[in-house]
Amino acid sequence: MPKIAIVGAGPSGCYVAQALLKLDKTLEVDILDRLPVPYGLVRYGVAPDHQGTKAVSRQFARLFERQGVRFIGNVTLGETVTLDELRAAYDVVVLALGLSKDRELDLPGRDLAGITGAGAVTRHWNDHPDEAAQVPHLGNRVVIVGQGNVAMDVLRILAKQEPDFDGSDLHPRHTDHITGAGVAQIDILGRSPAHEAKFDPVMVKELAKLEHVRFALDGIELSQGHDDDPRVAAVTALPQDVPVASHEVTFRFGWKPERLSGEEGRVSAAYFSRGDEELGLSCDSVITAIGFDSHIPGLRDDLLAQAEDRETGVVDKGLYLAGWFCRGPRGTIPDNRLAAQDLATRIVADLATGQATGQTTGQATGQGGEKPGRAALVATHPDLTDYDGWLRIDAAELAACTDGRVRAKVADLETLLALACAPAPGPATPETDE
Amino acid sequence: MKIQLLYGTETGNAEMLCEDIETHLADDHEVALANLNDIDPADLDADTFHLVVCSTYGDGDLPASAQPFADTLETAGTDLSAIRFAIFGLGDSSYETYNQGSEKLAALLVKHGAKQVGDRAIHDAMGSDMAEDLALPWADDRIAQAADLFAET
Repeated sequence: MPKIAIVGAGPSGCYVAQALLKLDKTLEVDILDRLPVPYGLVRYGVAPDHQGTKAVSRQFARLFERQGVRFIGNVTLGETVTLDELRAAYDVVVLALGLSKDRELDLPGRDLAGITGAGAVTRHWNDHPDEAAQVPHLGNRVVIVGQGNVAMDVLRILAKQEPDFDGSDLHPRHTDHITGAGVAQIDILGRSPAHEAKFDPVMVKELAKLEHVRFALDGIELSQGHDDDPRVAAVTALPQDVPVASHEVTFRFGWKPERLSGEEGRVSAAYFSRGDEELGLSCDSVITAIGFDSHIPGLRDDLLAQAEDRETGVVDKGLYLAGWFCRGPRGTIPDNRLAAQDLATRIVADLATGQATGQTTGQATGQGGEKPGRAALVATHPDLTDYDGWLRIDAAELAACTDGRVRAKVADLETLLALACAPAPGPATPETDE
Repeated sequence: MKIQLLYGTETGNAEMLCEDIETHLADDHEVALANLNDIDPADLDADTFHLVVCSTYGDGDLPASAQPFADTLETAGTDLSAIRFAIFGLGDSSYETYNQGSEKLAALLVKHGAKQVGDRAIHDAMGSDMAEDLALPWADDRIAQAADLFAET
């Protein structure tokens, strides 16, 4: 039976597993992740106050609970195991590693303190172990560069007050920090006019529900003649006449970022241009939300250069790419589901024609030799974690939950690993006969 | 009375819920499951009771897998006056457009003559209920109502 390793337990990796098993439920599928927790961006990217969106993970849980997929955590590609080793152990390897590095604003002043990428900020709020210690600097005046949906998530969370976080899993230490920072003025800028802005209108409509926020628009006249555009309609409907407001949010359209300046090494102003116009905004912090790059750009570039079919993600016999790691940081969860279905169809077709035999070093091809699959990993790495380990983390997080929250996430990798590795205390299970 | 489960989905949540309903009904009913994407409105059957599960996407739009069905129905103007259905919506009350997808699909079916059995039921992804905890009793209830109607005709 063909053995398939999917590296990356985020939505794209999980959707590939789901689609593969829909086509052939006898496939042996393992999903590997560098963390002891699954679901990638669903847990660490989707905003903590969008629990409804996170509910998609219930589909993925079924893979592990009912469909025989194995979760193998605490395995880092290139460290714990090399790509060649994985390809030797499995018939098919799918890389769904995501894009976790914030694209940098390549401008004078970019190294000043107080400038943070939106991915780092949202990972911090989502309690990703990599960012647990990196508390973003905020201050009274925050400038957000970028107007995509990630920028909208950051804006919404910065503009919320404590009761608005009810039902989220944003830890009180984060809400205390956000509300304690005294954020009062948020400017959110994009290069495009409103009718070409990257946000989904529904994300802006959601902002209108925050009754303590007064909105202002700059550059909406660039969208004259586009009154019917849902993005223009959404921003013009934002309440501007709010007598008592704790937060002022200004959407500024058509502005190209030019430079950042600071005092004593810390950012204090951001400068933009629009044709001949210039705009300088005093600020205490800048959050950039202009896209994502790979944390292993060399490997990704090499793979994409070799790819036989870049759009579908076919690199070579038995090696495939999925999700953002394949197509770049665009596309929502549903887009990546459809792409995963296309990829799974291709993989199953390749397996049927013997195209996906993943012949690699030392492996005799065409002999029908069974690949070892996870046994090769488990034999050499005793500290891998499994789905039961995640369930122990999940239970601990739910048990630690405080009022008004649905979960208290563990942000510290050592604690996550300790929970994942230690079976829950309870009645001892009898030894099985050997 | 045969039962046809139909789903309109974007993320797969409506599909999974339909699979759960199928499992729940399979012992006692003749039940089939299909993506709306694969269904032509003209193929709907008067002797079959249709249970529709539909999410919402984008700006209160129909989910992608329901869109071709809706387009065909509008273009062809198919007469559905012999068709009975019930509908269950999946939505997220974070958004202004909460559950508008199922609302639009129900209105479209009714506009083309289809008879809706019982009120539209909805699930809120931000709420504490599991979708299946609402949808399984919903399916049982609407099937009981429909059985009476089918018996009368």
